[in-house]
Amino acid sequence: MKSLFQQPPRTLLLVAFLVMVSAFTTRAQGPRIQLNNLDHLAAKASDTVDVTIDERLIQLAAKVFNEKDEDEAQIKKLVQGLKGIYVKSFEFDVDNGYAATDVDLIRAQLREPTWMRILNVTSKKEGNVEVYLSMSGNDITGLAVLSVEPRELTVVNIVGPVDLEKLTRLEGNLGIPDLGVEAPKKKKNEQ
Amino acid sequence: MKKATLVQLATIALIVSFSVNVSHAGGDDFNSVVKMIEQYYNVKHEGLSFLAKAAIKTMGVGAKIKGGSARQLAEAGSIRLAMFEDQNFTGDFMKFRSSLNDSLQDNWTPLVQTISSENAEQSYIFVKENGDKFSVLIVMIEKREGTVVQATVSAKSLALLMKDPEEGAKTIREEATIVDKE
Repeated sequence: MKSLFQQPPRTLLLVAFLVMVSAFTTRAQGPRIQLNNLDHLAAKASDTVDVTIDERLIQLAAKVFNEKDEDEAQIKKLVQGLKGIYVKSFEFDVDNGYAATDVDLIRAQLREPTWMRILNVTSKKEGNVEVYLSMSGNDITGLAVLSVEPRELTVVNIVGPVDLEKLTRLEGNLGIPDLGVEAPKKKKNEQ
Repeated sequence: MKKATLVQLATIALIVSFSVNVSHAGGDDFNSVVKMIEQYYNVKHEGLSFLAKAAIKTMGVGAKIKGGSARQLAEAGSIRLAMFEDQNFTGDFMKFRSSLNDSLQDNWTPLVQTISSENAEQSYIFVKENGDKFSVLIVMIEKREGTVVQATVSAKSLALLMKDPEEGAKTIREEATIVDKE
């Protein structure tokens, strides 16, 4: 059998291409979505907020939040097991300061089978909010919120076991904006 | 020697040690960031006399903390401060952000970064563990002024910062730079 280096250049190129594609898709299929491709919007936006709370900071948060403080105790409980919270938000002075392709770059990563859209609220006035869950078997491994308004684009990506209810409780904390997402109402027998 | 003279000497010693600490802690991230801002924007941070003033002010905050009115920096081990006043901060903020992140990525974790192109305002908060305490490095740049604050904070202060990063950073900066309101 010929070694890899003995293959013709075309085969090597093909192998390299396949490795690159596989690396990209593997990265995009996990619960962490790539948000860096939105960075160029900061140059056009009037306001940009970029929050990165990685696993190290989450562990810090779990360590520093005080159990005796009701508010902090709740956040501490909520962040347990999370591996990252990433937020990028852009506000523009004019409508459509971002391109449809910018939104598509995010949506392209939120595809089945890894991701499942669980909520899609469209409002002519307030834009569109889409919530996605990343699943591995029956386990939730991440959540993504894509909020698209004429003058605002926000993406929230939480990596780890998180659901809508957790998200709504985390809103307004740890740099997560108030997205106005409503938690699903519990059934009577669940209360 | 009179008690008042002793107090004055002690004050001068504290100011000098603070200023030396800020000015000559070569090779660290705080100084690197200050130098980077100076080179990128072609600006100069305030000299010794201002730093002395800042030291007095910091001690003032310390005194105030003892009195119980301000709490955020109460447990702080140290504060390092560089200020740029009445200078022109024009330049590509995206390139600046990228350079800043590159220079700090090995030792610091970025927590929150905000840019307002309309008001030419940028703020960056980085965090790292420092033994049983934590260090925060805050860079704030506006049209005509800039501030770099590095503070060692307690777990409690870090919790406050993480709960509401923007508000927490504002508090730390305000407490480190109250000059004339005292």
